[in-house]
Amino acid sequence: MKELTDLALNVTESAGATYADIRIVDQRENRIMVERRSLKLIDETESSGFCIRAIFNGAWGFASSSDFTRHGVEKTAKRAVDIAKASALVPKPDPVILADEKTHVETCVGICEEDPFEVPHSQKAEVLLSSCNTMLSVPGVVMAWGVLWFVRLHRIIATSNGSYVDTTNWFTNPILQAVAVVGNESQERNYTGGAKQAGYEFIRELDFPGRAKQIAEEAVMKAKADDTPTGIMDLVLDPHHLALTIHESVGHPTESDRILGWEANMAGRSFVSPKDIGFLQYGNTRVNFTVDNTLEGGLGSWFYDDDCVKMMSFPVIREGILVNLTMTRETAPIIGFDRSNGCCRSQGYQHFPINRQANLYMEPGNDDSVTPDDLISGVDKGIYIEGRGSFSIDQMRNNFQFGGDMFWMIEGGRKTKPLKKVTYQAQTRAFWNSCAGIAGRKYWKPFGIWNCGKGEPTQRMMMTHGASYCHFKNISVGGARI
Amino acid sequence: MRDLHDIQSILERVLKLTDAPHAQVTYSFKNLTASRFGNNAITQNKSGDEEEIQLSVAYGKHHGTSSVNQLSDDVIDRLVRRAEEIAKASPEDPEYMPPLKEQTYQEVPERFSDEVIHASPEKIARNIDIITSAAHAEGYEASGIHQSGYEMKVFMNSEGLIATDRHTWVSISTTIHGSNGSGSASTDTISFNEMDIESIARSALETARASQDPGEIEPGDYTVIFEPKAVADYLQFLRWNMEAREAEEGATVFANQLGETVVHPMISVTSEVADPHLWVPKFGVDGVAAENMTWIRNGVLERLHYDRYWADQKKVTPDSFTFPPICIEGTKKPLSELISECSRGLLVKHLWYIRYVDRRELLLTGMTRDGLFLIEDGKIVKPVMNLRFNESPIVFLKNIVDMSESMYVGGWAKVPGIMSNEFTFSSKTESL
Repeated sequence: MKELTDLALNVTESAGATYADIRIVDQRENRIMVERRSLKLIDETESSGFCIRAIFNGAWGFASSSDFTRHGVEKTAKRAVDIAKASALVPKPDPVILADEKTHVETCVGICEEDPFEVPHSQKAEVLLSSCNTMLSVPGVVMAWGVLWFVRLHRIIATSNGSYVDTTNWFTNPILQAVAVVGNESQERNYTGGAKQAGYEFIRELDFPGRAKQIAEEAVMKAKADDTPTGIMDLVLDPHHLALTIHESVGHPTESDRILGWEANMAGRSFVSPKDIGFLQYGNTRVNFTVDNTLEGGLGSWFYDDDCVKMMSFPVIREGILVNLTMTRETAPIIGFDRSNGCCRSQGYQHFPINRQANLYMEPGNDDSVTPDDLISGVDKGIYIEGRGSFSIDQMRNNFQFGGDMFWMIEGGRKTKPLKKVTYQAQTRAFWNSCAGIAGRKYWKPFGIWNCGKGEPTQRMMMTHGASYCHFKNISVGGARI
Repeated sequence: MRDLHDIQSILERVLKLTDAPHAQVTYSFKNLTASRFGNNAITQNKSGDEEEIQLSVAYGKHHGTSSVNQLSDDVIDRLVRRAEEIAKASPEDPEYMPPLKEQTYQEVPERFSDEVIHASPEKIARNIDIITSAAHAEGYEASGIHQSGYEMKVFMNSEGLIATDRHTWVSISTTIHGSNGSGSASTDTISFNEMDIESIARSALETARASQDPGEIEPGDYTVIFEPKAVADYLQFLRWNMEAREAEEGATVFANQLGETVVHPMISVTSEVADPHLWVPKFGVDGVAAENMTWIRNGVLERLHYDRYWADQKKVTPDSFTFPPICIEGTKKPLSELISECSRGLLVKHLWYIRYVDRRELLLTGMTRDGLFLIEDGKIVKPVMNLRFNESPIVFLKNIVDMSESMYVGGWAKVPGIMSNEFTFSSKTESL
């Protein structure tokens, strides 16, 4: 491949590009999907192609192709420069300047103890078929659904400043869902464990067949449960639930491209400004957030981002104060940084890389002896929420509303009964400033997000969040019905 | 770009290579040119082609699928071998349906423009410049995307069924921000000729100007007037809840509702295959022919979506649409006439981040954005701050008061502006 990457970079340089990179992406996927007792899909997909980015006169051009012949590479490289020349017709006020980055030459291979592509298809299908069969045997369950999705991502990135990296990562996304109907009520219950950078060993750990009956019974229990109470009350949120709250209300608002207005037409902008770094009281002093793109098993741990920046760990919020943003080589200098922190990724070879929130997690509480039960025992009236459900947030990332996957009423410091249709509404900073307690490190759990949509045309991206159990005071609950 | 003859030769070769009794193969091609802009400048600019062949084979009720994006002989051999291996190793699927023998495909208008395929990066940049220059001249900032492309699909199966479909498309959307408010506009067409980029710029800019410095408004129940874009975005959840099987299981809002009045009698919801302005393929999964459908007639739920297996079980005709295009015939009134009919209400330009709250009720939540206006005594009196809604589109269509003329939205909908009573907003935001 070195011959082709050299060719691409030579052609872009000859055409006048001041910077160029080529990214070769070879992706293999295997999906198994079961609905009820039917194996709806079992497939394997292979896709390979490359893209070339070029800067000419301070503007970007990008072209992609799956034609790996010399002619195909040359044509694509010239096209990238031609497109950059056209971009310069509607120029930015200042030309694109990339933050300095060292030259990297490295080959990296991610964690995969058991290659999912080597596991017999019949075995993978049987995990879902037996799990769905178990769920459908529970009275009241009308629909059982499961997915196993495996990805092997191989990238080669070569840049005009001499970097050449070769990375391989495996990703696994398992989902199991039961839908129960009781009278005129229908409720679902999910079991995923979150997606993870791992091989088939992750599927064995999750033990779908062993958990299926409980998931189905909880779906029925939820369908029979009382509706949500309404009013101002406390919440205790589990790590899986918090992954989505973190993603929407901390991850996206701290993306530098959104802050700069580059996502304004679709995903929106942010209430955060670069001037807020070091000052903005995002949460109270209990609240600490960290990006770690070297997190083991993290879906965002790709060794190098698509700017060929080595991935790293850095704090984003410390004792409630915003201290950093995620950035790319292009956005870093604009917001006053010398170097990118490696948060530029794209879905595939057809996609222009954009600023992406990374493995962003909430640090556990300072007191490791605090347990989830301790948090619940401190609540006189409130709700305990497990897992992810409904989610929506405004385009500046202020007003949000979340549901969940399972809900329990808390009365007098203990869980008393299951609930359904619970939602809570808050404003981002008010919410994180209402954090009243965080369980210790022992209860911290990661949770992978497989399908974060952003950009135009929309790109799918994956990342992992994490948290320990948290207590929030005085949150508006049940506002979905007023 | 390959011609149809080349593609058919490749697909015939794939079908000859497999020893599976059942096989179906699909070739997909997509060319996309996309230019994004923000702060009145192009921020990303890209172009590329993608092609893929997907093969599904079956031995009895054991099936498997494989796809590749390289079409060399050795890759095609691997495609066939892999699909066969998967099928042979797979458990039997009790709901497997064999390939279709015959289908009659509707004649549809040619949705194709050579000019789109050959659009130069300079032409696209000039189009964007029309929007950004208009915004810049008044001190506003435009962001958005200009996309154009060509898609082609060719389907063949072991029973001799062949289907082809192609269309070009142009899609432009922009959001224009002032310091205290924004406006947006979009258009989706088959060719550049149908597109009026000046009017897109003008419309977004007019809304942005009118949206500045919005006043406070309290959440509660309001009469609303949704512009067609907001109607389409809101009603797309109808498309995702029309599975007959799920309704029969009691899992969706349409459980036990076939033949019942579900929305206001003014509303009929159809899907029109041959509409020249909609990007509707003439065939769907397994090559099933697309037919014109009436889902709701004069408020009564008439038909739900049947896939091939469930249609076979219920002895009805399957339909091709996984997510059908939605057509609602409005009136001949301009939207301004709905505003003049409204004594007090809110004009909703655009919705954002719409999600389920409760699927069984089809209760949805989401936000307004890019222009929310208070109407009093038939006139727009001021812009107001954005609100979060929690409401079902079924309730929205039950409480309908009047409709405007219909407009095309997103290449998949033709819907009117709709005025509806007692629409529930539940909280407010400081976000503009």
